Amino acid sequence: MYSLDLRDYVKLFSGYTELRVQENRVIRIVFVKGNNTANSRSATGGISARVYRNGSWGFASNPEISDQAVKGVIQAATANAIFLDSKEEKGRGPLPGVPFESQKAFSTKKQRLGQKQLVEFLRELDDHIARTYPNLASRTVALNCLDMEKTLVTSDGSYSRSVVPRTIIGITLSLIKDGEPVGFGKSYGGRGHFEDLFTSPADLYERIEEQYHHLMKKSEGVFADAGLKTCVLDASLAGILAHEAIGHTTEADMVLSGSVAAGKIGQQVASPLVTLIDFAHSYNGQTCPVPVYIDDEGTMARDAVLIENGILKGYMHNKESARYFNTEPTGNARAYEFSDEPLIRMRNTAILPGTDKLQDMIASIDDGYYLIEPSNGQADSTSEFMFGITLGYEIKKGKLGRAIKDTTISGVAFDMLKTVTMVSSDMKWGPGGMCGKKQAIPVGMGGPAIKCKINIGGR
Amino acid sequence: MANLREVAQYGLDALLRAGADKAQCVATFTEKHEMNVELGEFSLLRTTFDTNIGLTAIKDSRRGSTAINKSDNESMDKAAAEVLAIAAASAPDEAYDIAEAQPPAEFSSGSDAPDLDRMYSGVKELLHQVKARYPKLVLMQAIIDFTRSRSCFVNSNNVDFVTNKGVYNCMFMFTSKDQDKVSSFNYTSFSLRDLERDLLECGSLDILLKQSTEQIITRPLQGRFVGDLIITPDCMNDMLWFVSRTISDGPMISGTSIYKDKLGQQIASPLLTLHSRPVSDEICNGYFVTSDGYAAQNSTIVESGVLKTYLLSLYGSRKTGFDRAVNMGGAFVMEPGDTSLDDMIKSVEKGILLARFSGGYPSDSGDFSGVAKNSYLIEGGRIKYPISESMVSGNFAEMLKNIKAISRERIDYGFSILPWVHVSGITVSGK
Repeated sequence: MYSLDLRDYVKLFSGYTELRVQENRVIRIVFVKGNNTANSRSATGGISARVYRNGSWGFASNPEISDQAVKGVIQAATANAIFLDSKEEKGRGPLPGVPFESQKAFSTKKQRLGQKQLVEFLRELDDHIARTYPNLASRTVALNCLDMEKTLVTSDGSYSRSVVPRTIIGITLSLIKDGEPVGFGKSYGGRGHFEDLFTSPADLYERIEEQYHHLMKKSEGVFADAGLKTCVLDASLAGILAHEAIGHTTEADMVLSGSVAAGKIGQQVASPLVTLIDFAHSYNGQTCPVPVYIDDEGTMARDAVLIENGILKGYMHNKESARYFNTEPTGNARAYEFSDEPLIRMRNTAILPGTDKLQDMIASIDDGYYLIEPSNGQADSTSEFMFGITLGYEIKKGKLGRAIKDTTISGVAFDMLKTVTMVSSDMKWGPGGMCGKKQAIPVGMGGPAIKCKINIGGR
Repeated sequence: MANLREVAQYGLDALLRAGADKAQCVATFTEKHEMNVELGEFSLLRTTFDTNIGLTAIKDSRRGSTAINKSDNESMDKAAAEVLAIAAASAPDEAYDIAEAQPPAEFSSGSDAPDLDRMYSGVKELLHQVKARYPKLVLMQAIIDFTRSRSCFVNSNNVDFVTNKGVYNCMFMFTSKDQDKVSSFNYTSFSLRDLERDLLECGSLDILLKQSTEQIITRPLQGRFVGDLIITPDCMNDMLWFVSRTISDGPMISGTSIYKDKLGQQIASPLLTLHSRPVSDEICNGYFVTSDGYAAQNSTIVESGVLKTYLLSLYGSRKTGFDRAVNMGGAFVMEPGDTSLDDMIKSVEKGILLARFSGGYPSDSGDFSGVAKNSYLIEGGRIKYPISESMVSGNFAEMLKNIKAISRERIDYGFSILPWVHVSGITVSGK
């Protein structure tokens, strides 16, 4: 990627400074109804520096990675910090920092496949769907690969190198029912290079078959009955619930701006059945979807326990918010591109499993919904969250009924989490999402199935 | 920095040397100066330089592309060779093509350099004004940048376009707080050619800041009713996404677009006329060249409710048999109506002033549902109170047909100009 040793430039730092080299590599291949509509690779990388001075920050970046460019960004970021400090004169003290070193690469050890092999893989998947399900109006098969490679050195002695790849195959099946399009998409894959996640297209056929059956049922689906309903949120929804409903309100920058989590540490905010953690890199001895061992401020990443047995325990911090709250940074400062500054971001946010069985949870509901697949979501400072539902079924007298059309569910997190009465014993991590907050960032989301009361949109 | 045109031409030549039958190269140099405000005070000054070299090659009816952000010859030679390898991997398709020859042109808009002092003083002034007018308001984040980009698009059919663009972009995210009560956050953004006006007077900022302070205390709606929506311009900015996506390549090629057979037909109320004007003087943050390499033109997408064009690329046009669009959409300008916003509100028996829609992606058929954020209950022609925990559900296609009025007043965002729109037949459900 480059031949410079960033540690050689520490001597040029003036005050607290982060120097980062990063490259994001993307592969994108898309087939729409058999047409190869996208076939590309890209790589964007460069160097950036961020400098802190008395409460003001300066940042600069350059796509060229050379001795001159490195010196240039350090100088420009320092000048920006000095300029802002001279205007603002906040007079704030130094940031907390404990030196830490980490080198982690999740690259495949297998021979990397070329574009031709990847295109062939997708074309075979597409051919299979076209052959097997001739009644479909269309199908989309898309491969999205993202490798993030970073090297960081900080003035307080931290150093890291990391490579974290992610590979997602998205498949959307569509049909026309009574003149109306009905679609259902699912994503497969997660952390790792393609070669470590997919060996043969046939490995996905069973899951595509399941996806197709859900689509057929959805094509006969009905609008949900709008209002407050008792629902079972499948394990694949619990992650987005953890992320949107609670996660965002407990990011320390959101807390400082007045989110409902402010001032509630130690208070009961959820059912005692709910424990919610933003994992740094591992859970139960397994590596999480988005492992962070050291963040982009050079802080050793540790798990942030947000809710324990229903009680709000803490927030997610960068160095600046940790100093404000007089606590330790949790390693949540992350940047998406080389030209982005680190922000407080979630890593792998999950609700921990309980002891119930999914079948018992469904059987316990007289009139409600079993909601299975999420789409997008959004949080709020008030903790009133929402997320889209692309697959769900009615529950009538303890049994699954008709499928429902696409809908949205919402609730006030600290109220809704108090309605949780059952939590399943299984735990599922999603293939991975992207969170938007000034910048995009890959995040992991996971959890068990949950029985709760929630608002559902419909007619 | 290397000469822009030389870089673009080198990229094109590298693709042709590597064996491309047809090729295009887009070289873009971007310089951004950004001031960030967090919690009402300046937090970060950011200066970034970036390069983007987009390379596309077609060989034997197979297409590949790549993007890098290095402009040295060695990087571009390597990338050109990779593009040919990517192209060789693609499925062959006679529809792949590049733009045909057009007269060379250079387009320019905005300033060459930022007025950093004015940026700083403008934001400082805004912070003072907000503090004085809205003491309960928390300006969570404000990002004001000046982005200067220079771009050169060349292809093997002798297309040769240069674009110089400078624009100020402003984004604000805010909430209001009174002791332990907090309002839903809200946000807005706009683009400016210069900084002559106070920021508080631009876009919908002042309207939304005032509303935010009213929304600290909200009431959930009870029960369910079918009523009207008055959709604010900010909310309409988000909702137009459904229309533009549905008439674009993906749904049109796949045949799942609900508008696939509707060209020239009535898809909306006769009150609706919607333009895409990327090269209009009234839009300061438009674009001059499409991603296919055509000089962009303004167009009317919906005229008096009739669908006038799809938003198809060259490839989408070849695949569907419909005309290529003369632009890429966006830069939306909606014609104003003849109803004042006040009269519009007075005409609503029961409904919602929908200021922000927080919902799941609409289905392909246009069904949507989501939370009415930062919104108000309207009853008997009067705004009653700000609401929370209330959802709205409907269908976008039906909603466009059920437009009852469009306001005279419009908000100019720099990247779009939109009015308030009154629609009927929406399901509203509370607790």
